[in-house]
Amino acid sequence: MMIALFTILFLGGGSDALLGFIAETQDNVKIVMVRDERQKSALATLKLMKKITKVRNKQVKKAAKDLAKAFNHHSVTVEQVDTIWAGYFTNIDQHNHDMLDLRFELKEHINREEWEAIFPES
Amino acid sequence: MNASFRICKSFLAFPVILSIAGGCAGKSDLSPLDVQKQAFEDLRTEIREVIGNPQRSTEAIALVDDLEGELTALREKILARKIRAKQLNANYDTTRAEFDEFFERINRDIRLNQQRVTKSHRAFLAITTPDEWSQIAKVRTKVMSATIKANQAI
Repeated sequence: MMIALFTILFLGGGSDALLGFIAETQDNVKIVMVRDERQKSALATLKLMKKITKVRNKQVKKAAKDLAKAFNHHSVTVEQVDTIWAGYFTNIDQHNHDMLDLRFELKEHINREEWEAIFPES
Repeated sequence: MNASFRICKSFLAFPVILSIAGGCAGKSDLSPLDVQKQAFEDLRTEIREVIGNPQRSTEAIALVDDLEGELTALREKILARKIRAKQLNANYDTTRAEFDEFFERINRDIRLNQQRVTKSHRAFLAITTPDEWSQIAKVRTKVMSATIKANQAI
């Protein structure tokens, strides 16, 4: 219990792919956009976003597993935990960067009206 | 804690777990925060049982109080981050710089969170023996598992 608690607090909410929801909008894209080359490109970008989110989720699971393993030992050092943390943080940065690249790539395929219909504010 | 008591607790926890796992909040009066509160109460009880020394036990429980506060705050932060991420994305005119600033702020927050938790973790290790730590670490209740899953599912 303590280990699971420490693990979730260590991951600090960075575990969630904050832009991962974008990848789940294929259905909206199919409804809102005309079936043409632009739609095809938008769907291809979403597919890529889904793929890298999947990779990210695997990295989070591994970090959580490594942390839990480390926390299990009373003799674990700050350095050992920090090493896991550093790798985790590098992954967060890379993932956010890649997702943003793809988000702006997606925007190139979708006009303003379509965008607002696919991603409503609420 | 003996096995029969744990089994009994597991049965008591079962409806709570179902309400979380099934997402049927309307069928239960317990909110995720109520479940979390119960989970931490269980944890405090277990710590009192494992750490016999009253002074160290009190210190450990004070640390658990801090961790409960951290978990509650984290839950609120995750919710706020998700809402903000959706708002930024929904705006067609949001710039890359605005997203970068958003992520940098979150990353700073996560690093600060990590420093606070590191401190609590070290303090916990300092007041427990390897045997006590091992026992506390191994203890699991379904209510706490449900709390953690509920936080991960936000």
